[in-house]
Amino acid sequence: MLEQLLIFTRGGLILWTCNHLSNALRGSPIDTLIRSCLLEERSGAASFNYDAPGAAYSLKWTFHNDLGLVFVAVYQRVLHLLYVDDLLAAVKREFSRLYHPQKTAYRDFDEIFQQLQIEAESRSENFKKPNPVPALAPNRKQNGTWQGQGLGQNAGSEKKSDGDGKKGRKLENDNFSVANSNSNANVNHSGGKSSVNNNIGKENESSNVGAFDVNRLQKLKGKKGNGNGKKKDALVVAAAKGEPKKVDKPNRVWDQPAPQTKLDFTDHVDGDGDRSADFLAKEQGESMMDKEEILSSDSEVEDDDDDTGKDNMPVAKKKGWFSSMFQSIAGKANLEKSDLEPALKALKDRLMTKNVAEEIAEKLCESVAASLEGKKLASFTRISSTVHTAMEEALVRILTPRRSIDILRDVHAAKEQRKPYVVVFVGVNGVGKSTNLAKVAYWLLQHNVSVMMAACDTFRSGAVEQLRTHARRLQIPIFEKGYEKDPAIVAKEAIQEAVRNGSDVVLVDTAGRMQDNEPLMRALSKLVYLNNPDLILFVGEALVGNDAVDQLSKFNQKLADLSTSPTPRLIDGILLTKFDTIDDKVGAALSMVYVSGAPVMFVGCGQSYTDLKKLNVKSIAKTLLK
Amino acid sequence: MEELEQWKEQLSHFANLALDRLLEVPPNQLYAAAAIVIFTTLLLLSIRLFKRAKSNTVVLAGLSGSGKTVIFYQLRDGSTHQGTVTSMEPNEGTFILHNEKTRKGKIKPVHVVDVPGHSRLRPKLDEYLPQAAGIVFVVDALDFLPNCRAASEYLYDLLTKGSVVRKKIPVLILCNKTDKVTAHTKEFIRKQMEKEIDKLRASRSAISAADIANEFTLGVPGEPFFFTQCSNKVTTADASGLTGEISQLEEFIREHVKQ
Repeated sequence: MLEQLLIFTRGGLILWTCNHLSNALRGSPIDTLIRSCLLEERSGAASFNYDAPGAAYSLKWTFHNDLGLVFVAVYQRVLHLLYVDDLLAAVKREFSRLYHPQKTAYRDFDEIFQQLQIEAESRSENFKKPNPVPALAPNRKQNGTWQGQGLGQNAGSEKKSDGDGKKGRKLENDNFSVANSNSNANVNHSGGKSSVNNNIGKENESSNVGAFDVNRLQKLKGKKGNGNGKKKDALVVAAAKGEPKKVDKPNRVWDQPAPQTKLDFTDHVDGDGDRSADFLAKEQGESMMDKEEILSSDSEVEDDDDDTGKDNMPVAKKKGWFSSMFQSIAGKANLEKSDLEPALKALKDRLMTKNVAEEIAEKLCESVAASLEGKKLASFTRISSTVHTAMEEALVRILTPRRSIDILRDVHAAKEQRKPYVVVFVGVNGVGKSTNLAKVAYWLLQHNVSVMMAACDTFRSGAVEQLRTHARRLQIPIFEKGYEKDPAIVAKEAIQEAVRNGSDVVLVDTAGRMQDNEPLMRALSKLVYLNNPDLILFVGEALVGNDAVDQLSKFNQKLADLSTSPTPRLIDGILLTKFDTIDDKVGAALSMVYVSGAPVMFVGCGQSYTDLKKLNVKSIAKTLLK
Repeated sequence: MEELEQWKEQLSHFANLALDRLLEVPPNQLYAAAAIVIFTTLLLLSIRLFKRAKSNTVVLAGLSGSGKTVIFYQLRDGSTHQGTVTSMEPNEGTFILHNEKTRKGKIKPVHVVDVPGHSRLRPKLDEYLPQAAGIVFVVDALDFLPNCRAASEYLYDLLTKGSVVRKKIPVLILCNKTDKVTAHTKEFIRKQMEKEIDKLRASRSAISAADIANEFTLGVPGEPFFFTQCSNKVTTADASGLTGEISQLEEFIREHVKQ
């Protein structure tokens, strides 16, 4: 079942929640969704999983950008509800009609929602057919649904349908009384029969249906006064099989009004004979009609689409100089996906020329499209410029660090607790871990922090010597144990040493490793687990293209998978190296931040110790879109 | 070339004509015209200055989850409606405060902006600060200690922004959720934040100058930091968004957004 459905504004005010569901959600899935998905430009994704103690939810959402509304549905992940998308779309459609910016309570939406939910559920069940579930209960439900649908759609023309209802009932009666003109009645009943048959499959001897059958048959027998039940039944079925196509047309005229006769469909099951006939008749209508109804409603929707399409199409097709000019002055009604596509395509290409990984560019564009679709285009703007500004905002938002990147503050905090602040540098081979470690050490030294290096690269020849040279030049202590030692143990001893000699910061250099190298990744995971560093810095070079995604995600994943602790540590920050070599191809920064969610803490931009900078978010965003 | 000469000649001819016309006009009228021109420009300028001085914008800032949106709706409608979730966009509105709706006479509406507290959306704050008449920094008094550092950092950034310092925009630290029993007092929160900011001052000023961000430094160097050292007025107040106990906030708004 659906756990909860919320409608809220982008500003954060809840406009409507589903009262009758009223299951208290465990944890705060909605806030988590917003913080870690929608605000991270991941809203192009299909669903979001939320784990709380004792609950595993899936969340789906949709936006109404023009009105600034967000619709979120929460359900148990194990259930795989198929109709949620459908339901959200329907809710969005219906609610946007009711919405008024000044209004904050929408209690009148309750009923509409219940109807929509039943509708959506029945539709999803229709998709599941044929299914061997007990036939009657779902049938009845569907029946009801269908009624609801009819009601919803005929709300305007109630009078007319009421008239039809009377007529229909009359027709029914006629059919029963005038037995010899039995073709119509027969066909109708056979229709009902067939639907029941379909649903139950072969074993339609189930008591309930049997009873109905007998009832009806007796009636027919009484009217016709010939043949035995079984034979009749067979005949009827044959008839149904014989001319199933013919069935649905009269059905529709005949049965459309039925919903008007009774709105409360839940309790009329156990009626008398007439009722049951009525019920069966309805049911017979339902199985075909429901489908048809869906079709027709779909086609109506399509029609609507077509209509709007027609309104837009000429504009889009001609799109001469004048019309586009006019559009830009007057402002376009609502942006559609098709309008955005060319601009987004160009933007994606531009991002990719700036070395943004393709996957990331794609996702970003989707997210921007999701945030713009349905919005009104302001006058005197072009689509491309609107998309451009939206993308720039998105980029700034992504690159703006989520956590504090003030390392010095953290160092001072650690100092108060009389603990050394441990930074581990990880990364693939040859990206400049040791060099940038030295730069960070230099920067820390300038701010009167005592630093110690730990040479845990016990793998590559010359690594310890390289670090020792840096240490000598910077005049800071270095902890080394030579080669062929377990780096995790070396790091541990280094930290103990730092506690002894009162160093504030321990910078741990590790061996470079490819992200697919399982043994080395395991060793890294062990190092992290044993020493529990305060900061895990991923060192990545800005030259990297599509591989950035792979590197970071694999590093993160391996750290999580291979960790033996229940709460694995992930990468906390990124150090982007070789930034001076890439000119305007700064895409790697974006790729890395997007994939890991960790901020770029330092940027290495040269060969000397002083060449360490902070990332200027705005200028990066500008460069990316230049 | 010849054409150009012709044009020049014609132009000088017209100029002469205009000058003659001008000389025909009595000087009195000329002076009057000049006076009118000067007067209107001055008027327009002064109106602009005047308007800026009488801004009516109040900005609600603070960490995500501290209750800004609830307070916004308490100010506007006097109700929290059906609750709120994390904001993705600023809430903005120009309205007469809810508690003043019943009052008679002409009341100047207040422009209230609720800026989302999510760190990714903080750049939005800069858009509203230049026009702010007052800043309300909302702090969660219930869940204060775990968020103390983050809140202090945010407040530090706010207090060192050029647009805030230069215009001496008053800041109110509003301790929200005080209806709960375990909530901290405003004195405690003020002291803790002063301590935190004092530490931040040390680390922030250490960051190399090229890193930017904070154009101004806070407090007096060498002395522990107090909010009283700020060039702008920093006060503290209690509130409870859920129960609608926001009278101190309303006082603050009325103090700085003049009728």
